[in-house]
Amino acid sequence: MTDVLTGPVLSRQPLVGVDVIDAHAHVGGYSRFFTPDPTPEAMVRVMDRCGVRLAVLSATHAIELDVRRGNEETAAAVRRYPDRLRGYIVLNPHQDLEAELARWADEPGMIGIKLHPDLHGYPLDGGRYAPVWEYAERTGMPVLTHTWSGSDVDDPALLASVFERHPEVRVLAGHSGAVADGFPRVIELATRYPNLYLEICGSFFTGRWLARMVGELGAHRVIYGSDFPFIDLRYSIGRVLFAELPLADRRMVLGTAFRALVDKEDL
Amino acid sequence: MTTTNGVELLDVNAMVGRLPAEDVGDGSVAELCKTMDRFAIGSALVAHSAAWRHDPATGNRLLLDEIAGEPRLMPCWVGLPDTCGEVAPPAEFVEAATRAGVRAVRLYPGDHGFRFSGPDVAPLLDAIARAELPLILDLDQASWADIEQVAASRPRLQIVVCGLGYRVLRELAGVLDRATNVHVDLSYLGSHLGLEWLVERFGVHRVLFGTGMPVRDPADAVSRLLWSELDDENVRMIGAGTAGRLLGWTGW
Repeated sequence: MTDVLTGPVLSRQPLVGVDVIDAHAHVGGYSRFFTPDPTPEAMVRVMDRCGVRLAVLSATHAIELDVRRGNEETAAAVRRYPDRLRGYIVLNPHQDLEAELARWADEPGMIGIKLHPDLHGYPLDGGRYAPVWEYAERTGMPVLTHTWSGSDVDDPALLASVFERHPEVRVLAGHSGAVADGFPRVIELATRYPNLYLEICGSFFTGRWLARMVGELGAHRVIYGSDFPFIDLRYSIGRVLFAELPLADRRMVLGTAFRALVDKEDL
Repeated sequence: MTTTNGVELLDVNAMVGRLPAEDVGDGSVAELCKTMDRFAIGSALVAHSAAWRHDPATGNRLLLDEIAGEPRLMPCWVGLPDTCGEVAPPAEFVEAATRAGVRAVRLYPGDHGFRFSGPDVAPLLDAIARAELPLILDLDQASWADIEQVAASRPRLQIVVCGLGYRVLRELAGVLDRATNVHVDLSYLGSHLGLEWLVERFGVHRVLFGTGMPVRDPADAVSRLLWSELDDENVRMIGAGTAGRLLGWTGW
């Protein structure tokens, strides 16, 4: 039995009438592996192929090397495709964090903040991130952070002390900790902290885990993201489309949940 | 069974049987077939988890028992070097496999403790090549260097490398260029636009549809293939055409 989400895949047609927002995207190449075409043009083409309306991205240049140049690349992509792309401001505690935040705070299309404690070698609960949490709490801007269960710097459990200090900040746990044996712990963490949202891209995620997250937290706490062009968008989206969940829950994960976190005029 | 677009899907990378540390269902043939139906997957090459995670000889027997009477499933045995006498000598193993209708052989050199390009498993690889049985191998079980060495020394042996990830193209491209008998499956060919790039560069017959279920979600490979930028003819070749030829499958 197909429906409005699975039928288009099986007939090789894009989704129609479904608002899909990819809340975890990048743009640009990456030093550690080859990506055939990581340009904004190719990304929008893939989005069209599948029927994804909007992607929120951060430049790989910003996360792996230089936030200033990388955030400029993000902003350029957003300006080029204002109907299809939005940006995260990448902040690095080793690279003028407060100046970079001030530089982009009023830029149209930059609708969130992205942290990468792993690549930046700095713990998620460290003091240098304090201006980020204060700003995000004050403005309501969502923060997407890379997380990896078992990591010294970005195990999702480190968010507990962030929420104790900044209970109003809204955080998307990128990859939901990434590895399967950590998913139960991040679900439990989200039951304690209502402003923690689980973003689900990654190599080890499945529709089965999605159903469990939605069952325990509600679909409004689970956010679709793909990580493309790190990982092809079409791997992660199928897990949501074909998950054994009611249609309303899958729609919520695909876009409605993220829309609720961002001002309407920004999307 | 085909997709609504008439594409047949033959999964070269599926498994039945329980798993100890992953919550992936009961491992039954009935559950596998139900999942295949959900994704319009018509047929599958399957191994048994007991042959991987317990004992190949036992698991291979269980596989034949459990899939008997399910014409959509083709058996894939797990092989071992016969250095300790745990399995029959290569010629006997391959003869028994062929007699039982086995369509391919899997090896787990990493998990089972032997070197893929070493002398212990070489006679088995030679026998598999002579019998024209494809060899299925997960990338976490052997290095690209070992895979290339085995492929180069046995041009008749068709090797399907599964579970690639998204960081492999630099090494993979070199191996595919030099070793024309190496193929890859789609279970996690995760590079952005990597499928289209590989098909354009190396030809459509180098990529086969495989899901990696039950550990991996079959939605990954299904969505990746059917929503690719490839035309229907190429999608059909990846979906089942090339695999059907390699496996001698004429089940439709």
